Amino acid sequence: MEDTLQTIQSIPLEHYIWFSTALFIVGVIGVLTRRNAIIILMSVELMLNAVNLLLAAFSVHHGDPSGQVFVFFIMAVAAAEVAVGLAIIVMIYRNTGSVDIDIMNKLKW
Amino acid sequence: MLLQSSASSYLPILIQGIMALAFVGITMVITHLVGPKRRTIDKLTPFESGISSVGNARSPFSIKYFLVAILFVLFDVEVIFMYPWAVNFRELGGKGMIEMFVFMGMLLLGFFYVIRKGALDWEK
Amino acid sequence: MTSLIIVSVLAVAVLYLGLFKYKTALLPVSVTGLLAAAAMAAMDWDLEKMYFSEMMLFDNYAVAFSILLILTTLLIFGLSRNYFEKISNNVAEYYALMLFALAGGVVMVSFHNLAMLFIGIEILSISLYVLAGIRRKDPASNEASLKYFLMGAFATGFLLFGTALIYGATGSFNLAAIASSGAFESALFRAGVLLMMVGLSFKVSVAPFHTWTPDVYEGSPGLIAMFMATVVKTAGFAAFLRLFLMAFAEASAFWAITVAILCILTLFAGNITAVFQDRFKRLLAWSSVSHAGYLLLAILAVGFSASSAVLVYTIAYSLASVAAFGIMILVSRARGNDHLDSFNGLARTNPFLAFTLTLAVCSLAGIPLTAGFFGKFYVFKVALAQGYTWLVVLAVINAMIGIYYYFKVIIAMYMKENANAVAIQLNPGFRLVLSIVVFLIFLFGIFPGLIANIL
Repeated sequence: MEDTLQTIQSIPLEHYIWFSTALFIVGVIGVLTRRNAIIILMSVELMLNAVNLLLAAFSVHHGDPSGQVFVFFIMAVAAAEVAVGLAIIVMIYRNTGSVDIDIMNKLKW
Repeated sequence: MLLQSSASSYLPILIQGIMALAFVGITMVITHLVGPKRRTIDKLTPFESGISSVGNARSPFSIKYFLVAILFVLFDVEVIFMYPWAVNFRELGGKGMIEMFVFMGMLLLGFFYVIRKGALDWEK
Repeated sequence: MTSLIIVSVLAVAVLYLGLFKYKTALLPVSVTGLLAAAAMAAMDWDLEKMYFSEMMLFDNYAVAFSILLILTTLLIFGLSRNYFEKISNNVAEYYALMLFALAGGVVMVSFHNLAMLFIGIEILSISLYVLAGIRRKDPASNEASLKYFLMGAFATGFLLFGTALIYGATGSFNLAAIASSGAFESALFRAGVLLMMVGLSFKVSVAPFHTWTPDVYEGSPGLIAMFMATVVKTAGFAAFLRLFLMAFAEASAFWAITVAILCILTLFAGNITAVFQDRFKRLLAWSSVSHAGYLLLAILAVGFSASSAVLVYTIAYSLASVAAFGIMILVSRARGNDHLDSFNGLARTNPFLAFTLTLAVCSLAGIPLTAGFFGKFYVFKVALAQGYTWLVVLAVINAMIGIYYYFKVIIAMYMKENANAVAIQLNPGFRLVLSIVVFLIFLFGIFPGLIANIL
């Protein structure tokens, strides 16, 4: 156990930063390129999880627990957000029979 | 203890991964080879209390389940706030206790609202 | 702080009133509660108290903007009698959600910790995702709701990633600790500031992150669009300014140029597109984008005069928007749509409505003797004091474009005739709210000192 802990701590902070950034960018690309509302929602969750990982890494690095508490808040709020988002998607599915965002083009400038 | 990670320090993980995959593959192959095979028509039909199955098993399930599931997630996630409180229970003392009761009270108000609105009534 | 508790408890109380079928009590209880909340907020004046181990700071900035948000919500509630009943049976939920959104707004103007900024924004946004889609069978409302939700959630991701990077660079979420950390040169910090700027720009519809705004405003019910244009925009900008003022002011040399570019983009995108609109609600939506551009000018000028300028501007803008959206609701209800032609002949059938709308769009355009003039005046003044002359010149050009499209509706009302137009009936709530708005626009337009020197 001690060994594992030490090995984990020996991973430099930069690796966490780059990994989270990569994860975040994967999420962003998912939001921008996917057309299925549920997959977009999943991509947003990926972005939030990248943030959670980064916050946890920084929290350990600074020896300050507030970063981890922030992660709790993000998780709780993300759950609420997903609940509302899925409810919206279900509402649209009931009305249109599809979750493709391309049918959402009634409003244009 | 090594303080810098190198490629070799990932070797155990690699071995573990190979072991896991190999276990799945080997057990599948061995049971296939060793197990006795007596094929009859009754054994090949899907087991469904004697009635032959109709339609696809991957049909979408009731939308009511969605509501229950999403409400479960909402209330379930709030539990994470109890962990830090429980860990620091002694330091936070009576004030922390009251604050937690306020928090749980708000959750209960929400829960009561959900029940009154009939969101959990399956038959409706 | 007491005001925040009152608003939150009020929201739950309203929810339960609806649950136990006291529908007639909803509006009186909400209005009384909001008045109490505004009064309690005023009691916090000059106290500068910190709450919850420095998570929130109720300084004069927070108090002034809280009162503005609460009173604007009060005006909107004044218009809401018999409005939600027509849309759906669950009336209490709409009041409750608007009150929850207001609570989020109050948190957003009084945060002293990035965690509270995030929570405030989310309380506000999640309530609004639901409110935008409250017409469940209407495809436009569905679309508005989904677009707002996806864009909002996406923006939250950026905001949070920025927050995480700033935490990494400074080791704290506390605004004062961030300001005194001296980590302004680090790449982490700079990336964090830019990402937070992107996230907040989405929320306050600053170009190039504004594309959801017209669709969401158009698809949402009129009163909800009014709420978004007034309360949400005010809270968003107050939070934006508070963050950059209290945490990032020292690093202004770095982010100022980005804000200046966003400002130009927003002004031109909002104003030029608004020129081509022929529906009033969409015109207002695009004009709300352009107003975000004027408000960004004030953020460029960090310092206490900036808060004062933003306060004056948001007061003027909120008042004018309440009147403009309110009359848009009346006209589109009476004449079937909100096309600019629907306003033809309004001056003959409803002189009071035509006059109020004229005053409102004059205030939005920044014509002297209205509150909007001083809003623009102070914003330009603080930007000039910081040496952004070229930017102010561009903003003035945009203000002139604004006058052109705002006057299209005045021309429709006064110059064009509509033979079969009938007078629109006003209920007492509308008459009262519109009268108050007319009075206040004139009052602040003639005596700007009443609000300009508060902060």
